[in-house]
Amino acid sequence: MAEKFHTELKNLKAETLEMAHLGRFMLRTAVDALIRQDNELAVSVVAKKEEIHTMEVRLEEHCYHLIALNQPMAKDMRVIACTLKVITASLRIGRYGKVIANIVKKISDQPHIANLMTIPHMADLVIEMIDDAIEAYEKDSIEEISDFSARDDTIDSLRESIFREGITYMMEDLKSITRCTNYILVARYLERCADHACKIAENVHYMETGERIEIH
Amino acid sequence: MSESAIITTNDVNLWYNGKRALDSVSMSIPKNKVTALIGPSGCGKSTLLRCFNRLNDLIDHVKITGEITLDDENIHALGTDVVMLRKKVGMVFQKPNPFPKSIYENVAYGPRVHGVKDKAELDKIVEQSLRHAAIWDEVKDRLNDSALGLSGGQQQRLCIARTLAVEPEVILMDEPCSALDPIATAKIENLIELLKQDYTVIIVTHNMQQAARVSDYTGFMYLGKLIECGKTVQIFEHPKEELTENYITGRFG
Repeated sequence: MAEKFHTELKNLKAETLEMAHLGRFMLRTAVDALIRQDNELAVSVVAKKEEIHTMEVRLEEHCYHLIALNQPMAKDMRVIACTLKVITASLRIGRYGKVIANIVKKISDQPHIANLMTIPHMADLVIEMIDDAIEAYEKDSIEEISDFSARDDTIDSLRESIFREGITYMMEDLKSITRCTNYILVARYLERCADHACKIAENVHYMETGERIEIH
Repeated sequence: MSESAIITTNDVNLWYNGKRALDSVSMSIPKNKVTALIGPSGCGKSTLLRCFNRLNDLIDHVKITGEITLDDENIHALGTDVVMLRKKVGMVFQKPNPFPKSIYENVAYGPRVHGVKDKAELDKIVEQSLRHAAIWDEVKDRLNDSALGLSGGQQQRLCIARTLAVEPEVILMDEPCSALDPIATAKIENLIELLKQDYTVIIVTHNMQQAARVSDYTGFMYLGKLIECGKTVQIFEHPKEELTENYITGRFG
């Protein structure tokens, strides 16, 4: 019985990783669509909305079934607790991808202001954090997430700088308001995605050690 | 454990015919709490439980070293009255074992042995004990019927009532639900929760979910050793020892 349960737990993790990669893919593709002003690419991201939502429902149900039928304890329980958080975080990351893709649809007909400021760089850093959080979950390791606090600080500073830069451009040129407002929103969404990566990291830490930490 | 201890064991070792069954067990059992002992078959949990009221004395070729105290008194000290010890430390076994007597006589038996003769007082003890064991309402109209006519779950609660009748401080339970169906099990588990207000309960169980549900503290034993002992929530959420982790997640045992 224990063997069957552990096989199912492995399968659950593998499927959750698939969902995490989908969320990450939606965000990455949305940012690429923004950079390239590629409307079609943006539409393809929005089209993934149903898929990721269906995965969320199915995987959560899988978790609940495993709990109900096996009453997991210790690390097994912590794996499922962490998995539930990874599922939620992945959905949110994917949904921010969709929201950014919707912004792309609105502003892709106008040229970028200041080469999107530091948005592409910020996006790279956020996606690296998501990759590391997913890898930590996959490998049952906390090595990849040890510096998340400092990396999250960098993301917060970048959002702040995009906000200030955006305000400056808006004051200089009223026609830039729509685009700059959307850049500020994108920066905010990216920052939230980094927060979700931190949430995954916190839960992987709990999964591995049984201790709760908070990454600010 | 920070709570005040009612029983402590200090470096307890036990051999059956030269075969070691307990290996340097040191632990304390907190008062008015439920402590569960878990571990694979043959790990020594029942042996340890039976040490607390010296039930192992009844087995030939048993050697015990180390110290066990109840209320700070060494239970192996010369002059210890074992009958009084077993009055203070009652026991409920795996299989309900009522005497082939009436329900009333089962509960009155202990107090009688300890010298209670007055009928009114016995009546009071019987009612109180049956109430405490959450079986009074089911048997109050048939106290003179044979205890053997009760269901398994009722018999087990009767045995608990029989234990309570001599006013113990500690109740030892050795797999008290393993012969019962889920509903009878739930009744016993609810009862354990009520009992800890007045008594200290030590329960040996194979069922880890049961240990998690009913106990405040859990000790995990393996090959005669107490591997880890701590608050139940800690043991089942993040055990410190890898052996405990592997056992409670079903990787062995």
